[in-house]
Amino acid sequence: MTGAAGIGWYGVALAIVGGALRVSTPYLFVSLGEVLTEKSGRVNLGLEGTLLMGAMTGFAGATLTGSPWLGVLAAGAAGAAFGLLHAAICNLPRVNDIAVGIALFLFGIGLAFYLGKPFIAPRAAMLPALPLGAWSDEPAVRAALEISPLFLIGAALAVALQWGIANTRLGLLLRMAGESADAARALGRSVNAIRTLATTAGGFLAGVGGAFLSLYYPGNWNEGLSSGQGLMAIALVIFARWSPLRCLWASLLFGGASALGPALQTVGVTSGYYLYSAAPYLLTLVLLVYSSSTRHALSGAPSELSISR
Amino acid sequence: MTTSARERPPSLEVRDLDKRFGSVQALSRASVQFRSGRMHALLGENGAGKSTLVKCVMGYYRADRGTILVDGTEREIRSPLQSRALGLGMVYQHFTLVSQMTVAENLILGRAHLPAVIDWRSEHRLLGEFMRGMAFRLDTGALVASLSAGEKQKLEILKQLYLGRRFLVLDEPTSVLTPDEADQVLGEMRTLVDRGMLTVVLITHKFREVMRFAQDVSVMRGGRVLLTTETAATSVDALAQLMFGGDTAVGAAPAMDRTRAPGDVYCEVRELNAQGDRGTLAVADATFALRKGEILAIAGVSGNGQRELVEVLAGQREATGGSIRVDGRPYARSRREMQRYGVFLLTEEPLLNDCVRSLSVMANLALRRYDQPPIAWHGWLRRRVLRQWAEALIARYRIHASSPLARIDTLSGGNVQRTVLARELSEDVRLLILQNPCFGLDAAAAAEIRAQIAAARDRGVAVLLVSEDLDEVLELSDRIAVMSGGRIVFECERANADRYELGRHMTRSADAQPEAA
Amino acid sequence: MRSTSGSAVDRTGLTGSAAAQPAHRASSWPVARVYVEPLEALVLSAGALAVALVLFGVFVALGGRNPLAVYSALYLGGFGTRFSIEGTLTQASPIILTALCTALPARVGLLVIGAEGALVIGGLCAVLVATAVATASPWVGTLAALLGGALAGALWIAAAGALKHWRGVNETIASLLLNYIAIALFNHLISGPVRDFSQTLKAQSWPVPDAFRIGSIPGWSVHWGLVIGVCICIILFVLIRHTTLGFSMNVLGGNRRAAQVAGLPIGRLVILACLMGGGAAGLAGAIEVLAVHGAASESLIVGFGYTGILVAFLARQNPLAIVPVALLVGGISASGGLLQRRFDMPDATTQVLQGLIFVCVLASNALAGRWRWFARSP
Repeated sequence: MTGAAGIGWYGVALAIVGGALRVSTPYLFVSLGEVLTEKSGRVNLGLEGTLLMGAMTGFAGATLTGSPWLGVLAAGAAGAAFGLLHAAICNLPRVNDIAVGIALFLFGIGLAFYLGKPFIAPRAAMLPALPLGAWSDEPAVRAALEISPLFLIGAALAVALQWGIANTRLGLLLRMAGESADAARALGRSVNAIRTLATTAGGFLAGVGGAFLSLYYPGNWNEGLSSGQGLMAIALVIFARWSPLRCLWASLLFGGASALGPALQTVGVTSGYYLYSAAPYLLTLVLLVYSSSTRHALSGAPSELSISR
Repeated sequence: MTTSARERPPSLEVRDLDKRFGSVQALSRASVQFRSGRMHALLGENGAGKSTLVKCVMGYYRADRGTILVDGTEREIRSPLQSRALGLGMVYQHFTLVSQMTVAENLILGRAHLPAVIDWRSEHRLLGEFMRGMAFRLDTGALVASLSAGEKQKLEILKQLYLGRRFLVLDEPTSVLTPDEADQVLGEMRTLVDRGMLTVVLITHKFREVMRFAQDVSVMRGGRVLLTTETAATSVDALAQLMFGGDTAVGAAPAMDRTRAPGDVYCEVRELNAQGDRGTLAVADATFALRKGEILAIAGVSGNGQRELVEVLAGQREATGGSIRVDGRPYARSRREMQRYGVFLLTEEPLLNDCVRSLSVMANLALRRYDQPPIAWHGWLRRRVLRQWAEALIARYRIHASSPLARIDTLSGGNVQRTVLARELSEDVRLLILQNPCFGLDAAAAAEIRAQIAAARDRGVAVLLVSEDLDEVLELSDRIAVMSGGRIVFECERANADRYELGRHMTRSADAQPEAA
Repeated sequence: MRSTSGSAVDRTGLTGSAAAQPAHRASSWPVARVYVEPLEALVLSAGALAVALVLFGVFVALGGRNPLAVYSALYLGGFGTRFSIEGTLTQASPIILTALCTALPARVGLLVIGAEGALVIGGLCAVLVATAVATASPWVGTLAALLGGALAGALWIAAAGALKHWRGVNETIASLLLNYIAIALFNHLISGPVRDFSQTLKAQSWPVPDAFRIGSIPGWSVHWGLVIGVCICIILFVLIRHTTLGFSMNVLGGNRRAAQVAGLPIGRLVILACLMGGGAAGLAGAIEVLAVHGAASESLIVGFGYTGILVAFLARQNPLAIVPVALLVGGISASGGLLQRRFDMPDATTQVLQGLIFVCVLASNALAGRWRWFARSP
C-alpha cells in the first residue's frame, strides 16, 4: 500500500474506521438475528455453526450459479434451516436451549467443512462494493470507505426491526412470547410457533452474515474463516440490551476492535499479533462482566430467556 | 367491543360431567345451572373440583363424559378458542398479563384479529373511550409491572370486558386484594350483573363473599356438586356442613394454650433492607421481634415484600441493610448457625423452594442432617444408616411414598409438605419461619399442619408466620403485624385485631410512619 | 416464592391435591421404581445413539456411499484391530478428562464449556513447569509438570465460576470466551517467548525434558494417561455418591434455592466444582504434552475440549459413565483416518456423526419420565 508508512497513525485510525464498516457486517446480521430469537425467549448459541454453514453455502452457491446474490440467498436459506432445526428440538419438552445451541454449533461446523471440502477455492463470484471514498485521492481513504451494500442493507434492517418490534402485530406477539409464555398461552397463541418463526428468521440473518465472510471479506472459504463471531454476537446482543438499533452501534464497535490487529500491522506493529486477535473476546468478556449482576436480571432482558434468569 | 344492553348475557348449564386424571376422579357427575344475568358462587375447599369444572367449561380440559349447554344449546367445547368465541371468559388467580408491556398492549393482545401494523394513536383513543364507560379505570400507558396487585386484578377483568365476554368466571379473584378492594371489585361485578350486562361465576372458599355478593350458590365436594340454591335460602352453617362433610372441626382453628405469657425475645430483626428482583427496594426498614412460645403473624397482600423478607431470613436473598440477631448474636444464615440456633423453615410450594425434585425422599429428609453423625462419619455418607433413619421418620409422620428411594416429586402435594414437616419439625426447633405453609393443600392436610404449628408454639418455639391468608393469620397468631410496601406499618395483639382495620393498613402508602396499637 | 410459571392454563403437580386423596398410594413394583431412572437413562442414550447412526447412514448414502460399508469401517477403525483399539484408547484418554470439565460443574448446576481453553493452558504450563524443574529427578519432574498443568486449568475455569457466582456472568458464554482467549494467549507464547526456534516446521514450545515424558503401558502403544483418567473418574464417582461433599453438590445442582435454605456454602461449592473440572482438563493438556507430543504446539488444539462436552452429555454428567462413553466417542474419532482413506471422506465426517449424536441425545431428554407418567398423581 503506497503511502501507508507515511500516513502512520492516521492510517491506523482510517484502517479502524474501514474495518468497523467492513468487519461489523457479519456481527450486525448475526446480532440482529439473535435479537429476534432472544426477544421470543430462546437463546441460540449455535450461531457460529450457522454462520459457517452460511459462509459455505454462499460460496458454493456463488460458485455454482456465478451470481454472488444468489449465493447470499442460498446462505440465508441454509441458515434458516439450521434455525428451524434449533427451534424444532427446543420445542420438545424438557430440552435445554443452551445445550442444543452448543450441539448445533459443533454439528454446524462439522457439516460446513464436510460439505464444503469440494468447494475450497481461492475465490468465488464476489459481492460488489460501493466506492464511497471515490472523492479522495488517498488510496487508504478509498479503501477504508469501500462499503458493501450488505452493510447498508443491515443498517436499514436494524432501523426497520426497531420500528417493527414496537408497532406491528408480529412484533407484539414476539415480545409477548419472550416476556411471558403463560400469558401467550392463556391468550391462545402458540408460543412454540412464534419462537420457531423467530429462530428461523434469526438463522436466515446469521446465514447471510456468513455469506458476507466468504463473498466479500475476507472473501474466501477455508478452515479459519470464522473465529467466534457467532458467539460474540450473543454478548453483543446483551450489550445492546436487545435493541436492534443499539446492535448497529455495538457491531461497529466490535468491528473496529477486530480491525485493531491488522490495522496495527500496517504501521509495522507485528509482534503481539495473537494478542490483538484476542481483543474482541476480551472486550466481550469485559462488557459481559460490566452488564451482569447477581442482584437483578440483565437490564432489558426478555423475562423468558434462560441466560438472564 | 361494546355490549348491547338489550341482549341477555349467556346462561350455561353443565350436566353429568365426569373427569378423571390418572387414578383420581376430579369430577363425578357434576351438574349445575348458571342462570343468565346472575352472580353464582361456586363454593368448595381446595381439591373439591371447582377449578376442574370451570376449566372443562372453558375448554382447557375435555370432560370424559357429560354435556355443556350454552343458552340452552348443546355445545362441544374442545379448546379455549371455542369457549371464547361463545363469549365465555375466565379471570385466573395467577395473572396472565405480560408485566413488561403496557396496559394498552396487554388489552389489545387479547384480540383475535390484530391489524398487521398497529396504529397506536387510534388504539389509545378507542381504549380511552372504552375505559370511560367502566367503573375501574387504569392508565393505558402504564407498564403492568408498575401496577399493584389490585390494579392487575382489575385489568384482568377489564380485559375480559374489552374482549366482549359476557359470561365471566372469576377464580378466587380476591386472594390478592385487601378486604376493602375485594368489596369494591365484587361490588362492581354485582352492579354489572344487576344491570343485565354479565353472568358471573365466582369461585371462592370465603363464606363472607358468597353471602354478601352472590345470588346463587353451589357447593362442591369430592368432584360432586352437592347442592345449588339461592343464597337467601341458606346459611353459612348449612354451607359449611356441606363443604366439610359435617366435620366442621376441620375448618376450625387448632387449640392453643392462650393463657401462657410469651418468653424472651429469641430473634430480632432491625431495619432490614433488601432489593427485589428488578432492582427496586422490596423490604424497607423492616423491624420486628420474635418471642419464644409466641406466633407473630405478618399479614399483607401478596407483592409487598413478604416473599423477599422470608428469602432473606432463609438465606436465599442478601440483605442490603439492617441486622438479624438470633439469641442475642448476629445471624449470618450459615449452616452451622442454623444447626446451633435451631432455625427451621416451611414454605409454600416446597418442590420449588426447599426440596430437590430429582433426589429421593430419603435424601430430602436428610437435608439438615446428612453431614452430622450418625449419618455422616468424617465426611463419608453412610447410606445404610441414612436409609434406616429415613424409614423411621417416614413411619412416624405417615408419609405415603412407595419407597424411601422414590423421587420426591412422585409424591402428592400433601405428602411432600409432610416430608418437609418431618424434616423441619422433628429436630430441636427453636425458631420456626413459615410462609403460606398451607397454600394449595386440602383442608385436612392444612389442619394437620396448623396443629403442628400450634403444638410447636406451645412447646416454646418462636414462630414467624408470613401469610397472605387473613383468616389463617387471625386463627393462628398471638400478635399480628401488617407489611405494606416493604415496611412493617402496623402491629397489634390478636385480641384487638379487626379485619377491616388490618385491611386498610395493608394498602397504606409506604412513606407513612409505622403505628402500634 | 410462588412459581412464576403458575400457569393459568395448567396448575399441575406442585399443589397436587386432587379431589379424594387416596389414603395410600402404593406402587406395584416398589423395587423396580428405584431402578427405573438409571435404566431409563441408559435406554434413552442407547436409543439416541441408534437414531444418530441411522441418520448418519442416510447422510452418507446421499453422498453416494454405502452406509453399511461405512458402519463397518467405523467399527473396524475404532475397535476392529489391535491398532485401531490402541488408536481409540489414545483418543479417549484426553476426552475422559475434558468431559469432567463439563460434568463436574454440571453437578452444581453450571453449564461450562471451557475445556478446550483449560486444556491448552494446562499443556502450556506443563511445559513451563517442566522447564523450570529441568534438573529434578524424573518422577518429581513429571509430577510437577502434571500438577502445574492441572492447577493452571483449574484456575482458568475457576475464573468463570467466580464470575458467575460473584458477578452473575453467564458461565457458558464466559467459559467459551475464555477458550478463545486461552488459545490466543497460547499461540502468542509459542510463537515467541517460549518458542523453540530450532523447529522450523511449525511453531512449537521448548521441549519437555525426555526424562519427564510419560511412557506407554507395557505391551500396548497407549500411554499411562488413560489409566490416570480412569482412576480420576472412579475417585470422583465415589466422591459424588458417598461423601457429604458430593451430597452437597448434588443438592446445589438439583435446586439452588433448597441449597440456600440448607445453608450450604454455595460459592465454595461452585468454585470447587470448577477447580476440579478445570483441573481435569488442564491435566489432559499436560498429559498430551508429556505423553504424546513432547512440546506444546498447535497439535494440542484439535477439539478435545469440545468432544468432551458431548461425552459429558451422553454420559448424563456421571463420572463413571464417562469412561465407556469416551471409549465409544474416541472410537468414532479414531476411525476418521480409515474413512478418509477408504471412502475419500473429509475428516470433518466424524465431527458430523458426533454432532448428530449430540443433537439426538438432547432431543431424547424429551422422552425422559414418560414411563412414570401413568403412575404419577395429577
